[in-house]
Amino acid sequence: MDDDLKTSVRGEILQVADLPTLPDVLEEVTRLVEDPDASTEAIAKVISRDQVLSAKVLKMVNSPIYGFPGRISSIQHALVLLGFNVIRGIIISTSVFDMMVQNMKGLWEHSLGCATACNIIARRAGFEDPEEYAVAGLLHDLGKVVTAVQLPDLHGAILSTVRDKDVTYLQAEKDVMGFGHDRINAWLARHWGLPPNIREAMARHHAPQLAEFYKPMACVVHLGDFLVRLFEFGNSGDDQTAYLRPEALLELNFKMSDLDKVMDEMAEQFIEVSDVTF
Amino acid sequence: MIESLEKSLFTRRQTAFLLSPDVSLAAMLRSLWPPDVLGFTVFEKGGRAIEHLFTDPPDLLIVDNRLTDIPATEVANLVKSENVYRQLPVVMCVDPVDVETPWNWNLIEVDDFLVRPFNPSEVRDRINLTLCRAMRALDANPLSKLPGNTSIIQRIQQLIETGEDFALAYCDLDYFKSYNDKYGFSRGDEVLMMTARLIVNTIRSYHGIMSFVGHVGGDDFVFILPPDKVEDACQRIIAAFDDIVPHFYDPDDRKQGAITSVDREGKARVFPLMAVSIAVVVNTGGRLTHYGEVSSIAMGLKKKAKENPRSCYVIDRRQG
Repeated sequence: MDDDLKTSVRGEILQVADLPTLPDVLEEVTRLVEDPDASTEAIAKVISRDQVLSAKVLKMVNSPIYGFPGRISSIQHALVLLGFNVIRGIIISTSVFDMMVQNMKGLWEHSLGCATACNIIARRAGFEDPEEYAVAGLLHDLGKVVTAVQLPDLHGAILSTVRDKDVTYLQAEKDVMGFGHDRINAWLARHWGLPPNIREAMARHHAPQLAEFYKPMACVVHLGDFLVRLFEFGNSGDDQTAYLRPEALLELNFKMSDLDKVMDEMAEQFIEVSDVTF
Repeated sequence: MIESLEKSLFTRRQTAFLLSPDVSLAAMLRSLWPPDVLGFTVFEKGGRAIEHLFTDPPDLLIVDNRLTDIPATEVANLVKSENVYRQLPVVMCVDPVDVETPWNWNLIEVDDFLVRPFNPSEVRDRINLTLCRAMRALDANPLSKLPGNTSIIQRIQQLIETGEDFALAYCDLDYFKSYNDKYGFSRGDEVLMMTARLIVNTIRSYHGIMSFVGHVGGDDFVFILPPDKVEDACQRIIAAFDDIVPHFYDPDDRKQGAITSVDREGKARVFPLMAVSIAVVVNTGGRLTHYGEVSSIAMGLKKKAKENPRSCYVIDRRQG
């Protein structure tokens, strides 16, 4: 399992190939990168709205070329270390969603919502660097983007399996491909040299109790994913009620009252996020 | 056109050895540069040259494959196998027949080769390029690839001579040694690479102004900016460094905000997380006239900055 991941159905292959990003985010970042007065904070904020662009930036800064592989898990830090010229290069080599936009819009909102939720949960749990948890939340469904872009036929089959059998998207992926986006995530994150905490959260957000080294981060993303579905903010491919692992709440030391507070804060911030016009 | 040293590519007179029985080659090479820019010493036999090569190495060695007493490849390998001479650029001269079958350049570690019949202007530029490339490679820090001491000194001296106002900042890391000792040199190198990137990107973000970043070696870096930008740059570097460096520690050490490592006496001691100290020398109105003054003032300030265990900067603003 190096450069490709082979699905069980029809032996089709997923590759680590270029993934497209949202045109509006790209335009905004391009404008900022050309503006000599723009700060890295401002650019990081815009990039953090797009899971594919964020993944690319982290992939780049964690590549062995720079000499500190797997160390950087915040977009802001990545930008400081990459510099504007490299960001310009990433922008130039990034293609945009075209036909995909409508199809993937719900997933994009779901990911953005999950990132917001993870930030709130991590702060409530008293963890340092809540931004890193937000990055993990932003990237947790990246595997779904990969399937949708690279194997559109199988993606279609997964969506109709969700509808016809009334199963979760993850179950439908397993029925159609033999594995789910959690495994694609693990494969992508390893191939791109993403930091181990982000990688484990991406790979274990459906089964945080199995996380080996960074259980708290996997639990935060698990809970964030659950809550953002509860809010019906965006769409992650199915409309099932997700199963909330009690272990996740235990790990974070959360009571029901904590969940209430997190949800209040999410409600407030989602109004802001919805204001982001694309 | 023949140019004087002041206008040439090199900062001082270059010397070259030519090992060749080919008299016309020697004549051509000598005609391409004035002797005060690049001077040639010619040896018709290889054997005689080797002792000179070892005791008084030139800036460039040109070896002709037509040497009769010793194979040219052996001379090249003799030079390249000794680390002291390894950086000396070696150019091989060959006849077309010599390279009819491919050469193994891993075994013959020369830097370039020239094929007969020689085209004088091509030879001139190939050799100029070889010398420039060797200077760049020699002075770049092997880890960060940033310019090293020679370039740093040159840049400062140049600014002093042109009378431009500038601020020179000297950065080094506090507790780098204890980090290196505890986590090993490869993780120490990661921190240096991160620091180099951080400084370079911060300095480059000031558009359209004179700036420079160099790597003195180890955990010592230097940057140059106009005096009105330097304080802002120090603040930004410190903020970014303090934000990023905890990520290079293991989670437990990071949580504690300290590591246990051995001190210079070999005793276990607790050290804080790394911090960056910056000493800034401002040269306005031509107050300073020599590189040595700049560096000795910087060293004094550095001690002051080091007294603070946290990241900090100290600026010397004495007026001339």
